[in-house]
Amino acid sequence: MASVEITGLRKLYGNVMALSDITLSIPSGAFYTLLGPSGCGKTTLLRTIAGFHTQNSGQIAIDGASIEDLPAHKRDVAMVFQDYAVFPHLSVRDNVAFGLKQRKVNRTEIDTRVTEVLEVVQLGHLADRMPHELSGGQQQRVGLARAIVVRPKVLLMDEPLSNLDAKLRVDLRAELRRIQRALGITTVYVTHDQEEALAMSDIVCVMHGGIIQQAAPPLDIYLRPANRFVATFVGANNFLAVSRTAAKATLVSGGAEITPLIRYDGPVVGAMRPEDVRVLAAGTTAPEGDITVSARIREISFIGREMEIFAQTDAGEHIKAVSRPDPAIVALPENSPVTLAIRPDDLSFFVDSGDGVRVP
Amino acid sequence: MSALTRLRHMDFWTAITVLILAVLALLLILPILQVLMLGFVDADTGGFTFGNFVEVFTRNYYLNGFKNSLYVALLGTLGACLIGIPLAFFTARFVVAGQTWISTLAILVLVAPPFIGAYAWIMMLGANGFITNFFAHFGINTPTIYGAHGIVLVFTLKFFPFIYLMTQTSLNGMNKSFEDAAENLGCTPWQRFTKITLPLVFPAVSTGAIICFVLAIADFGTPAILGRGFRTLSTIAFSAYRSELGGLPTMAVTVSIVMMAMSMLALLAQRRILAKRRYASALTNPPLKQRMQGWRNVVMHLFCHGIVLIAMLPTLVVVYTSFLKTNGPVFIGGFGLESYERILRTAPDAITNSFIFALSAVVLITIFSGLISYVIVRRDTAASGAIDFLMMVPYLVPGVVIAIGYVTTFRGGPLDVIGTSGLLILLYFIRRLPYGVRSTTSSLRQIKTSMEEAAVNLGAPPARAFLIITVPLILPGLIVGALMGFITAINELSSTLILYDGGTITMPVQIYLAVLDGEFGLAGALSTVLLICTGACVYAVFRFAENRDSAFL
Repeated sequence: MASVEITGLRKLYGNVMALSDITLSIPSGAFYTLLGPSGCGKTTLLRTIAGFHTQNSGQIAIDGASIEDLPAHKRDVAMVFQDYAVFPHLSVRDNVAFGLKQRKVNRTEIDTRVTEVLEVVQLGHLADRMPHELSGGQQQRVGLARAIVVRPKVLLMDEPLSNLDAKLRVDLRAELRRIQRALGITTVYVTHDQEEALAMSDIVCVMHGGIIQQAAPPLDIYLRPANRFVATFVGANNFLAVSRTAAKATLVSGGAEITPLIRYDGPVVGAMRPEDVRVLAAGTTAPEGDITVSARIREISFIGREMEIFAQTDAGEHIKAVSRPDPAIVALPENSPVTLAIRPDDLSFFVDSGDGVRVP
Repeated sequence: MSALTRLRHMDFWTAITVLILAVLALLLILPILQVLMLGFVDADTGGFTFGNFVEVFTRNYYLNGFKNSLYVALLGTLGACLIGIPLAFFTARFVVAGQTWISTLAILVLVAPPFIGAYAWIMMLGANGFITNFFAHFGINTPTIYGAHGIVLVFTLKFFPFIYLMTQTSLNGMNKSFEDAAENLGCTPWQRFTKITLPLVFPAVSTGAIICFVLAIADFGTPAILGRGFRTLSTIAFSAYRSELGGLPTMAVTVSIVMMAMSMLALLAQRRILAKRRYASALTNPPLKQRMQGWRNVVMHLFCHGIVLIAMLPTLVVVYTSFLKTNGPVFIGGFGLESYERILRTAPDAITNSFIFALSAVVLITIFSGLISYVIVRRDTAASGAIDFLMMVPYLVPGVVIAIGYVTTFRGGPLDVIGTSGLLILLYFIRRLPYGVRSTTSSLRQIKTSMEEAAVNLGAPPARAFLIITVPLILPGLIVGALMGFITAINELSSTLILYDGGTITMPVQIYLAVLDGEFGLAGALSTVLLICTGACVYAVFRFAENRDSAFL
């Protein structure tokens, strides 16, 4: 168990800022996920912690001891790789024992610890197999066992599930989380899969353009995104233009007055999650107190558990709504007029400039 | 960090990079620069001059050599294309019985000692050759093998495997959909071949052709044995070196520079043309082989098998003559092992020297191939780019040039303590290093970086991670590289001829001298020994290489 403190970490590739003043703090035992689109710097950050990249400036400390100038093999952080990186010329047992041998642990202890950890990842019966005899999921368990057996201060995982098929990914996800909790090992996890991030993490750190956008528990990330990027990257969001005069704020489309909802003076945009938008066929009345916007159907796709409705408001904004399938709506032809209804509480606002910070 | 602590903390691979650069600077760049500089030195005064180049480009003796080199190299390359491309096309697109046999023979031709072809053809078509004598029985005069056309014939039959193997690899890797699409759009089979297939394999063909051209320009043994007054730049350089012994070898060097310039110009021209033609394609639809029918099928089989058999003929003749009964240099009819007895009596040094030099060079090649390929593949620095580039240089620089460079740089210098044997080992090492590096590099490119990262991450220092994880994983590449290094080192002639002295004669030199003396039995027996070593290595390469054909290119 160890805490991680990163201060002012900066990494340049030529002129490109891959990591820009990264400062974060990971409490001991936390499952900390770096989430973002490809190229956002999440893997660079993980590999810099591992010592595979050298930072241009900044500090990385584990339990208060700075490690940023240590060579990679002395950092005592264990990594699980996206492509498993199981040594193909060593048996499962030898793969798992590798790190212990480097640490000059004595033979009997190696044997007990390897056997123990193989039980934890449910590979005890495959200890003497060679890696090419294992499936992808089994290989990744070897990768995990090999990393945790050395009892590292910090466990690093670089998209460990992304090469597995969907079903296995969900199973292994739960197992990873269970093992991590049981061992209480501080974990930094990199993924581009928001569902994975939300499901597994204590803290999700959303990155974009080498900058941390928001680091918070999953529920906060989803319900109170810090800015427009987080609002669109984690889950989807619809944006509505807002027109303001000195005294009054109204939605451009539909003209509903929303002055009391906004606690900010500058220009803003409104945002709503697709699942908060209700689509009402013409002639249906909206629930009392809801804000309504009239729109026309662009496309409807019925995908089983739910239907996705793409509509365009009179002001031209594209709106996506998701709800339980309603035969009356699914049957609507293109261009049918509909009313979009939303509860005022579900509407959030972002500053309409720069980074688009959330209005509290 | 201060410069001093940075130096103390220099990591393992930076240190290795520095070591590699130092070795290459000393053993490769320095001798070549020496040679380049000598070209501008006046032999009598020691001052700076352009006179040597003026002489090369004004005196007929040199100008003819230049024209002759160009002539035989171009025609030899053309000949190699004319038989290599059809052979590749037939074997890649049609069902040809004995395909493995054909490519094995082609590879044997490729790796056989380079000068064997020349003197074996003398035994067949020379003044007293058995084919000449056979036709003379019926009063038919066969054309003589000596002179330009003989050299062109030998080059053609010696170098076509490059074209054949490269074109075949390219054809096998071509997405069949291209050809299907052409046919679908209304091309006849011939149009499809000329408009689609041929342009798509052009990069491979031209790469093969450049290799042929460069090797033909640098080839010394063939024109030396078959020339008879027809002099090419390489033989001129060698005799200039011989006549300048004692003084500065300025003319030998100037001629060599011209040879290098020709090779480099050819390479640059090809790169230029290729730059606009990069055809990447996924092999989603691998080509299918068709079955040819009737007389065409017979003709195709005759062509394919005929070509490789004719190309193998010199080797067979050499082995055959080694078992002929001899009395001194004279064949006295019947079979016997006298020639082998004689090599054990007169040339045991040549055999042991050859093995000691080649094996020592291979040890160095293997160690450095591993380190260099790691630096090239895994380290993205200016230094690793420079090393990658330097690995092309030994291909382009004729053996005569490096050898003269070694003589002028190291003879009498501090490195002279290692003696001629040491110099020869270092020379073989540097000249054949690229074979090892190329094979190891392609092996390493298939190993994911995460392997070494995982090892380091689990606590292994970089040097140990390389030794216990990387080396076992690239072992096949290292072995193939070592074998290729061995084959090419033990068959080395041109630079050994310049460096060797009484105690350091090697098998190829001994064969060359025996041929000049007309001792064909002795030459045959020694060549057979070389062929057996080479053949054993080829067999081993087949066992270890993933793609047996392209391992030899």
